[in-house]
Amino acid sequence: MENPPLSLKLSSLCLISQCKLDSILSLCGDKKDLIIDPSLIKPMERVCGVNWLRQHGIDKIYKMDPNLGNTANTNRVYFIPSCIHKYKCVLDQIASLINLNSSLAELNCFHIIIVPKVLTIYDSILESKGLYNIVKLHTFTWEFMMLDNQLLSLELPFLFKQLYVEQNHSLLSSISMSLWSLFHVTGKPKAVFSIGKLSASVLDMLEIYNETYARGFLEKESSKDIGALVIVDRNQDYASSLLTPATYSGLLSELFTVNCGNLDLNVKETKLKKGKLDFGFEDEGGPSKHAVIMLDSSIDNLYGEIKHRHFSEVLSVLSSKAKLLKNEDIKALGIQEIKHFVATKLQQITLFKQNLVNHVLACETIISEMSNKYENLKLAETEMLNNKNKKSNFQFVDENFGTDIHIYNSLRLMCLLSLTQSLTYDEYNTLVTKYLLAFGYKYLYVFNNLINAGLLVQPSSPKLSLNISNLGNLSDRLPKWQNEFQSNANKLKQLPSQADKDSKSSPSYVFNGSYIPLIAVLCQAMLTSETLAELIMKLSSLSELRVGGKILDKLKVGMETLNEKLSNLKLQNDLEFGCKDVKGLAKLLKSDPNIGNCFPLKPKSVLVYVIGGVNYAEIAACDVIQTITGSKIYVTSDCVHSGAEMIGSAT
Amino acid sequence: MDDDDYWNTSETKAKALSFDDDVLSPQEILAIGQKSYSGQIEESIFSNLNITSAKSAAVPLSSLVSSKVLELILLAQSGKCPSKETKQVLPSEETVAMTLKRLTLGRSCSLHIHRSLKSKTELLDGALAIGDGNAVLTVVLFLIQTLNKKLVYELLSSRPVALNHYISFLQNEGKITELTDLLTMLGRSPEGAMYQYQHTVKTQGNNIDALLRKLMNLMANHFDQPGVDQHQAKMLADYIKLLEWQKHVNKPELTYKSVLQWLAYNCANHWHEGAGNAMSPLTLCQRHQISPLQYDWVVLNVHAKSGKWDIVESLFTKKDWLGRTTVSSHIPIETLLARLSELQASKQILATYVNKVAGSDDRLRLAHMYKIHSVVIETLAKQKDRTALTNYKMTLSPQSEEYILAENTLRDSTIKWKN
Repeated sequence: MENPPLSLKLSSLCLISQCKLDSILSLCGDKKDLIIDPSLIKPMERVCGVNWLRQHGIDKIYKMDPNLGNTANTNRVYFIPSCIHKYKCVLDQIASLINLNSSLAELNCFHIIIVPKVLTIYDSILESKGLYNIVKLHTFTWEFMMLDNQLLSLELPFLFKQLYVEQNHSLLSSISMSLWSLFHVTGKPKAVFSIGKLSASVLDMLEIYNETYARGFLEKESSKDIGALVIVDRNQDYASSLLTPATYSGLLSELFTVNCGNLDLNVKETKLKKGKLDFGFEDEGGPSKHAVIMLDSSIDNLYGEIKHRHFSEVLSVLSSKAKLLKNEDIKALGIQEIKHFVATKLQQITLFKQNLVNHVLACETIISEMSNKYENLKLAETEMLNNKNKKSNFQFVDENFGTDIHIYNSLRLMCLLSLTQSLTYDEYNTLVTKYLLAFGYKYLYVFNNLINAGLLVQPSSPKLSLNISNLGNLSDRLPKWQNEFQSNANKLKQLPSQADKDSKSSPSYVFNGSYIPLIAVLCQAMLTSETLAELIMKLSSLSELRVGGKILDKLKVGMETLNEKLSNLKLQNDLEFGCKDVKGLAKLLKSDPNIGNCFPLKPKSVLVYVIGGVNYAEIAACDVIQTITGSKIYVTSDCVHSGAEMIGSAT
Repeated sequence: MDDDDYWNTSETKAKALSFDDDVLSPQEILAIGQKSYSGQIEESIFSNLNITSAKSAAVPLSSLVSSKVLELILLAQSGKCPSKETKQVLPSEETVAMTLKRLTLGRSCSLHIHRSLKSKTELLDGALAIGDGNAVLTVVLFLIQTLNKKLVYELLSSRPVALNHYISFLQNEGKITELTDLLTMLGRSPEGAMYQYQHTVKTQGNNIDALLRKLMNLMANHFDQPGVDQHQAKMLADYIKLLEWQKHVNKPELTYKSVLQWLAYNCANHWHEGAGNAMSPLTLCQRHQISPLQYDWVVLNVHAKSGKWDIVESLFTKKDWLGRTTVSSHIPIETLLARLSELQASKQILATYVNKVAGSDDRLRLAHMYKIHSVVIETLAKQKDRTALTNYKMTLSPQSEEYILAENTLRDSTIKWKN
């Protein structure tokens, strides 16, 4: 049977999304208006585009607005993300329409499509507002979108906030469902791992889907394209989100808004500028139009060549490309040659020029906004990571809060310092006070949100610690997490030695030689281990490591269906349905060090999913691992975001 | 990376921007690229560029999944039961495990057959074990409907994940009083206070009186309690103080502004009013304990942006008793220079400050960075470094003022060059 390459299949996943959407739209009447939440526009362009919508009964398209008046058609299809406020806003609008014209209630004309999932409470809310049977709710779980080569995203940027800040895991099952349908296309990976509580749950629910719809996998064979799956909770490696990247794509996302792989090249008002304190002088020029850079190497080769590079190299690459263009001077060509040129190359070159100009503008903006501060910032970050010079690091952060304070990036520094070296009660409050004076006292709650997400550790008041002071000597009194960061990072070799830093092949270059992202460490361990035992030894410091897939199948006694699992469940135990804690495996591994026969990995490829957003520096680090191990790494997540955006989710 | 030299050190940056043969400057690249450049601009809600349609032609649907699998995928999304399962067990025979599975798969189900405390508890623990938040919350809300509060709270207090889901629900629903009651009952009232605070400031309307009243209530009833962090309580007290004063001053453009934004306003409009006057910047500083660093920063930005460089200069330089000017600012000199440069201060002002940097190496580095030629030349002369100065001269444009200065300095016979 013909089997196209995986990359082509992955870029065609939108066809499945279209089928899913089509099956919903066919229930919504013939001619209808689409009322779309603005945040879903860009992803929808990837899913189907406007022409497809027209072919499927959508007459007019409106942006969702609480004050939206009459629309062209009676049939309304609302299209919103799974956020309770947006949902209620839509219901209010429908209720007021029915108030004006009660006959609408009978017409079956209101539909709400919710991405990625309709929650049970949505039904209850519908009922409580008296709209049950008048409004129909539809779950739309679109497939992964291929933003770039080997980069897949679900484009659900609100997940981080729900999962980590509010600790509401309602949408977790939709990740399982997306992976489940992805594996129908790619085949099931043989080796499966999770790191973190949410990841373990995703695997458990994935197994529920597998069990329920078992007949779908007629082929019991493992994937020929993906050797291993590893799912990681974002909070297992916050450092990678908090650090300032050194790669081109990383710095781009620091400055410019990237929505679904579309970068808005707003050089006048970058994210850095917008987050600074407003002294009342900033003139509000209306929304101006900017160029858009598609962060997709298959569309923009030039971007593909420079995206993962350390920023110091980018301008010289661009300049060499410009020189090549210069040589393409057509004045020297004869008529026939010009004709040929116009027919074959002109369009391509025009596009290339456009891309070149955009990248140079972006580079210039990065230099002009960051060059003054970059060196000191990286120095402070490196010292924090290595738990050195705490006092001067605090001074650095304190000065940043006192002068060039940024609404997100300053908090990012504070969080990094707190996680790596910890803050005393007084230091913590000094920073809080400065922040609130600058941006307003109302933001007091922000710090609690950061604490809830595990991004910040609140030091206890000195009054409280006095009580236990006579219990032991000073070192006992220090909180336990004091050096936890460094000791964990050292065990996983995430803090490179000087020699590693100098080596070209260290993925740490993505943070200027100071740190290797966890997902790169994981991929490397998987791609270089000969046996499962070796892998587990390499990753032994990860207390949340679990195994699944073929390895788990070997460990199962009998069938172990969900029903059996649930009925034997001990109070507040983990389910261990789709994955199992590795701690219990020591004995088995002694007799069979390679349970499941998954290692060395074959095919030599890993699919990583980060729950709660991945960033460009991490992606670049995986690219290094991929090159040195001669493998393929597919990075997937619910979105690609920068550290500032992650922090912004908490505010 | 090869070494620890960053792209932004003065050397690399100078190289990146130089016009040597190997590397084109950004301007040159732009000039080459821009010949036929017109920005790609979005027109309608959806951009006209339909990327996916071009890409989706890659492979047909049939080579992704079989039609049977596709059916299954659609079925899973719809949350409907497969047709063969329509002959279900009677609802009364549904086990806890079956209910949980239905919940996780997003299928319709009724929890009301589970009436014993035992099966309710099993439902909750099963949902938690699976880890599906949607199921957890559904079960919690079912427990609240069907058990008395005391029992529910008992169940929740030993199951933090379930509790978090309920907290998140109450918060989203705006049921803040219930949330506070719950947390108080669990002995976590300080957290409840913070949730109330968050709700209050996030739902504040345009009525400053109402907001003040709510905040004062919060202060009296929730923040003035043992266990609430002292610093948080102080911040709330300061907030109330600020709002009261904003109300008193009654300037619409200042209402809801932060302390520093207000300070900026006062600096711009009431700069000369002395301490004690209501709108004087100094009064605000005292009332809200603005740190000297933040004060200097605001003053610098406000006056520089409105072009009052004389104020900036007089504020940050002092004449000592020998008549020498010294820089006196709480802003560290490098940060000060960086900001002055961003604010487009004149070269002369920058020179004044760079000159005051103590270490000659630092001074040289900063002078290079901000292209203060006179300081570079002077410092190199002081270091008696003829080679460096000769090299520097080459980078200057011939016959410019600084070029001549460099030349004259090199010719200066009083300097004992070291090389």
